[in-house]
Order: sequence, then C-alpha cells, then structure tokens
Amino acid sequence: MKMLLVFKKEHDLRFIGHLDLQRAMQRAIRRSGLPASFSQGFNPHIILSFAAPLAVGITGEREIAEIPLHLPVSPNDFLERLGRALPPGLVALEAIGQPDDVPAAMARLFAAQYAFSPRKGEEGCWQKLLEGLPAFLARESIPYIRRTKSGERPDDLRPGILNLLEKKGELWAALALNQHMTAKPDQLIASLAETAGIKAPLPCIRRMALLDSRFAPLEQV
Amino acid sequence: MDEMVLQRLDALLARVQKPARYVGGELNARVKAWRDGVTTFAFCFPDTYEVAMSHLGMKIIYDLVNRQEDLLCERAMMPWTDMMEGLKEEGIPLYSLENKVSLSRFDAVGFTLQYEMSYTNILHMLDLGGIPVRSAGRGEEDPIVIAGGPCACNPEPLHAFIDVFLMGDGEEATLEALREIARGRREGHKRADILRMLAGVPGAYVPALYEAAYREDGTLSSFASTDMAASLPIEKRIVLDLDEAAYPGDIPVPFTEAVHDRIVLEIMRGCTRGCRFCQAGMLYRPVRERSVEKLFELAQKLVDATGYEEMSLSSLSTGDYTHLTELVQGLNARFADSGVSLSLPSLRIDGRLKEALSDTARVKKSGLTLAPEAGTQRLRDVINKGVTEEDLLRTVTEAFSQGYSQIKLYFMMGLPTETDEDLLGIAALARKVAGAYYAIPKGERARGLRITVSCAVFVPKPFTPFQWAAQDTLEEIRRKQKLLREALSIKNVTFNWHDPEVSGIEACFARGDRRMAEVLYQAYLRGCMLDGWTEHFKLGAWMEAFSAAGADPAFYATRVREKDELFPWDLLDIGVTKAFLWRENERALKAQTTPDCREFCLGCGLTRFEGACAT
Repeated sequence: MKMLLVFKKEHDLRFIGHLDLQRAMQRAIRRSGLPASFSQGFNPHIILSFAAPLAVGITGEREIAEIPLHLPVSPNDFLERLGRALPPGLVALEAIGQPDDVPAAMARLFAAQYAFSPRKGEEGCWQKLLEGLPAFLARESIPYIRRTKSGERPDDLRPGILNLLEKKGELWAALALNQHMTAKPDQLIASLAETAGIKAPLPCIRRMALLDSRFAPLEQV
Repeated sequence: MDEMVLQRLDALLARVQKPARYVGGELNARVKAWRDGVTTFAFCFPDTYEVAMSHLGMKIIYDLVNRQEDLLCERAMMPWTDMMEGLKEEGIPLYSLENKVSLSRFDAVGFTLQYEMSYTNILHMLDLGGIPVRSAGRGEEDPIVIAGGPCACNPEPLHAFIDVFLMGDGEEATLEALREIARGRREGHKRADILRMLAGVPGAYVPALYEAAYREDGTLSSFASTDMAASLPIEKRIVLDLDEAAYPGDIPVPFTEAVHDRIVLEIMRGCTRGCRFCQAGMLYRPVRERSVEKLFELAQKLVDATGYEEMSLSSLSTGDYTHLTELVQGLNARFADSGVSLSLPSLRIDGRLKEALSDTARVKKSGLTLAPEAGTQRLRDVINKGVTEEDLLRTVTEAFSQGYSQIKLYFMMGLPTETDEDLLGIAALARKVAGAYYAIPKGERARGLRITVSCAVFVPKPFTPFQWAAQDTLEEIRRKQKLLREALSIKNVTFNWHDPEVSGIEACFARGDRRMAEVLYQAYLRGCMLDGWTEHFKLGAWMEAFSAAGADPAFYATRVREKDELFPWDLLDIGVTKAFLWRENERALKAQTTPDCREFCLGCGLTRFEGACAT
C-alpha cells in the first residue's frame, strides 16, 4: 500500500529547498519507525515522492507526499507516528491509505491555489496592484520572458491563470501546474505590477492547495 | 530583537543566498527561555553554517550546556559576505539562531579555534554582534569572550581580542567558566575582577594578566604573570574517562546539507603513533577510548533522535581502536535493517575486520584515501610516519581487487630535510599505485582508475617536534610545486596543491606571538575575512597588514628557532614536554623512527598526570 500525506510547510521553513525537504522527510520517516520501503542499490534510501516541489520562500498549507509502505498501517497510526517525528515547521495534517495502483499524485496534478498577502510597509503599493486587477484580467494575452535552464524565451502567462480574485485584501490565484503549462506565482505578481505600472512588491505567498483537473484537491481521490 | 528588526531581517533573508543558514529551527535545536538566573552563552563558530554544523565539539558543548538548569547555549556562525553586508545595511546585529538575540546581550560568547585562517572571522563576528573587537575596549555590559579548541594552544595572536582561553578538553572547563561568570555577575563584581576569578579556573588563561617582553632580535625574552590570580604554566584540562564524559544523545539536524551531515561517534581521543608533524597527535594525548557498550548506546540514541542515514567513526587513528572489529560488527548488526550505513575512514584493514565488513555489505564504498605524507622511506622515517611502501601497495592492491578504482593519496611538501628526490618519490609512488591497478587482470578490477595526489604545504606547528623548524619560502614552494606538477603528469593521475600564500599566513599565526595580534587587526580593518575560502583570500591586504603592524612574515614562518628559544606557547603545559619534543626533533634529523608509545614508553611527559597514561 502507499500513504498519501497532506502536510504543512510553515513560514519558518520557507527557505528550505526541495531536496532539503525531501531529506528532512526521509529522516522523519526513519525516526518514526514506520515500515517505509527502501530503494535498491548501494546506498538505500527511503522511497517518497512529492506531488510538486515548492519554490523557496513560499509556505505550503496543504502539500502532498506519497510514501510506499511494505506493511499495512492505519492512517491514524501513520499520522500520529509521523507527526511526532517531524521537525518543527512541518505538520502532518492528514493521511489517506491507497492501493498501490492509484495513479501518483504527481501525475494527477493540474493546478495549484495560491494566496498572496502584502508585507508590512507595502500596503500602499499592494492597493494599487489590486486596483489594477480588472484591467489585468481583461487582457487576452500577458506576454513575458520565461527564464529556464536552457535560456530565455517569450511566453504567455494568461492561459495559465485559471482563476484570480481578491479575498479580504488578499489575492487568490489558481495557476496551472502541469506538464503542458505552468504559471509561476512570482511571475503573476511581476506581470500584475507591470500592468499597474508599479514596482513589484514582495508579498508573502502561501500555496493553499494542489488541485487535479476537476479543480478538486489531490487528496480527494 | 524587536518586531521592526525582525521584519527587516525577514526581508533581508528573502534576498540573500542560502537563507536556511540563518534561520535555525532545526530538529533538536534547543530554544530555552531567557529568564532570571540563567547564564547565557553563545557558541560562535568562526566559519559558515555548513562548516559549523559538521563540527562535533560544538554539538558536545551545545548539548552539555543546555542540559544545565542554570545555563543556556545558543549558536552563531560567520555569515557569508552578502548576509554580512545586508546585516550592516539594515542595522541588524549578528544574532543567535535560537532566540535571535544579538551576541552583545549574552553573558558570554565562546569561539572555537579550529584553524588559524578563521581568525579574521572572529573579529568580524564580534563587530557584527555589537561587541568591541578588542578586549581592552569592552565595558561592564559586554559579554566575556572565551575561546578554546586546538588553536588555543598558541593563544597569543588572539590575546588582544579574547578575554579568556580554555585549554584542553572543554567539557568540564566550559561549565566551570560559565558558572564563574555567573557567580561574578551575581555577586556584582566588576569585569576586571570576573576575569581574575576566571583565571582561577583550571586550564584557563587570561592574557590580560600576563606580560611578554622581547629581545632586539624579536624573540621572546620573558613571559610572566602580573597578577597573583594568574599562574604559569597553564595546565591543559584532560577528561580521563570518555564513558563518563558528556556526549549528546541528540544533535541538531540541519535542513540544509552540512559538509559532514551524519552521526559522528567519537570512539577515541588522542593518538600514540607520534607522527612528528602532527599537532593533534601531541595535543590530544593521552589516548582514551570509549567502550563498545557506551558507543552502542550512543549510536542507538542518535539514530532514534536524528533519523540520519549515515554514521561515521571519529578519532585520530580509528585503526588503533582496540575493539574496532567488535564495534563495526555490532553497529552493522544493529542498524542494517534501518538503512543506516556506516562510513569508515581509510585504515589498515586486517583480516578479521575485513570479515566483519563483508558480513554485511553496509559499509559505504567511497574512494579509498591514504596518507603516506612523504614520497620516500627516508622522509617518512624523518616524520615518523610508520607506513612503508610495501604496506601501501598491499593496501591498494587489496582495494583494487575489491572493486575500488579511486584512490586519494595525501602528501606534504616542505617537510624538514626534504630534497627533490623525496618529491620525485611522490610521483614514483603514484606510478606504482597505477601499476598495482594494472597488475590485476582486466575482468577482475573495477573500471576507471583515478588517482588523486594532494600535496599540502607543510606548516610547522607548536607542540610538535618540528616546532623549531622553518617553513619553506614561497619561492621554494613554488619551485617544488612546479617540479611536482611536471613529474605528476601521468595518465589517470590528478595533482592538487595548496595555495602557498595561505599556508604562509597560517604558519605566522600558528607560531605567532602577541605582535601578530596587530597584524590580525590590521588585516581585519582591510576587509580580510573568510580567508579559508580561496575566493576571499586577499594576499595584498595581508601584506599591507604585516607592514602596517611592522611585522615580518619571515620571522614567524621561515626562521629556524634555537633549541632554547622561549616560545610564546610555552605558557601552556599540554602534558608532552619540550624536552621530549626536542629529542624527537633530533631523532627526526637523523631519520630515526620512534615506536608507538603503547609498545615502548619514550617519556613524553604524560605519565606525570595520574591515571593519564596506561604505561
């Protein structure tokens, strides 16, 4: 069986990169004594996969990892044991047991929901950003230069913005995150600022949920 | 720090490289409350987080101090240049990782002195932490600045910046010093009196209570205590029973990878081999072993508390640990199922141990590293490195037939009595190692032979038989490096060498006197920092610092010292006597070897300490 884990990566861990997070999770699983599976080879490691790496600087409210187990464990037991072993800043929220043949969360991922809130001292510029929202959404294409490992190329942000609205002074966005299209949260802020004609603020970004193509959270299989 | 500063810090962290270095919050980090009656101590590591978090001593002291009701310990490290500039721009002091408190607010801050080229970082950390850099400039409110660690054995180049040095094993001395500071503060004593009280702690050296005088030729003429409270010489502290000594059952587990990111089991302290260039071999005498039972207990606790996937054994000479086979077998048996691998340093692998290792194939097979140190038998006899060419070739043949194909060979250049023939011997040895590989039939050896020859520049260190010796001049080292580079252009052999300029500065501090403190200060003023990192070492600024301080590097590095010269570090009694070191120096020059002292006692001086020495 495998266990789908919903966990939170808190503010204090926002600078921990993906590989570091993976290592921290593997060590927590080892401390927990849960019957995790090991990879073959000379330096066996605990097998574990994340639905989507989280960029450094962003906190995750409901991140998803999958952990194959070689003995059955109840979700409650799993949650309790892993919860005790996790380092401060990582919180186990929910565990869902799944047969091995359920498609991987990574393969089902379609989009991610983000919330952006202004940092202290940037409220004024944030307001301008929000005021520019209708004009921004009215644009049919939002060209930008995408930086990748292989270089720079022009791209369009607009089709990757699946939903964008203001909620109690915060900005909420559902952005495409799949093999065909990816819209990045910092690019959204940069493009919004460009449309509003202001310098891009540095908001606090939280990833609220990982969604499948039905726009349902991945954990709701 | 108040809310406003924390917000500025938050924004700063978002724009520096590797911010995870500066936030703490690791698993097993201890965040104790600051309350009345608790004496606060900041353990400062004068290098980056990744280096600091690889250091066993910090973990021992951190755990030990935090286990005391009346004390707390937090960590601080040297920030990288971008963070350092950011802290200055934003007006944020260098702070501890746990409670984010400015260094200036601690009762005491303590630096560990692991290598000379971290000294400028100490001055920068003090300044960034809001503490006056010079001891003489500190007031009643400022922390007491402590230092310990191997380089404290010659404390004089730092005498102007450190209030009190703790000599030898730190486990007991640290607690005693902190409690003395606590008592001094509680009883309302002045700073100067607290320092006098600290001088009463065994192993403590308070430089302000001593005076040095120099001859016209620059050598030390006298060194004397100027205060009733300050004794001379200072005897180093020795923790005799390692099973009873403090050792952490849990350690902070960094999120971001440290240089050595694993469980470290210190199996033994000290070494009896008597290599004549090796300071640690003299400094950490006598040899003390932890029992196998104690090590099993600690290993289990640490695996449970950290979840680390790797464990290594630490000592100066792991092959000499009495019960190594039993230990390796036992550790493998205990942790094989939990996927924890054991990494062993390269050592003589005798038959029984080999069996133990192949029982469970859990030992990580990284490349093999060997340290012949010198290229000819004559020079290996001079330095008393008891390795023969035969040993070495047998070991590598064994390794090649087991599937290793990567061998690292460590050497030094500039050793006393060294000739070009000795240097060319390094190349000859590398060729023979390659020959040993090709002697194994093609189907039976791993592919991809790679021999890495690293050659460090010899730095004569205090408390070694070579403390009287000269370091080679820069020109000579460059000539020798060129010679070796040409001789080592062999297929499958890579040659690495050290920057001779860095080794030259290191040599000045290693055997420096009080006047080197001014060189250090001048270098600090000129922005020297992170000197151990090649990209930051500024030779020009260092040369300016020497001339501004009126000091000559040649006096410290490339001068042969007289037998009876009074050394700055003679203030310390490490157990091994100067008479023994001189005898060893004379034997070295005659290429006479000295046996391991467990076979034959040579009277190094340790027997003076009751129970210190088995013989």
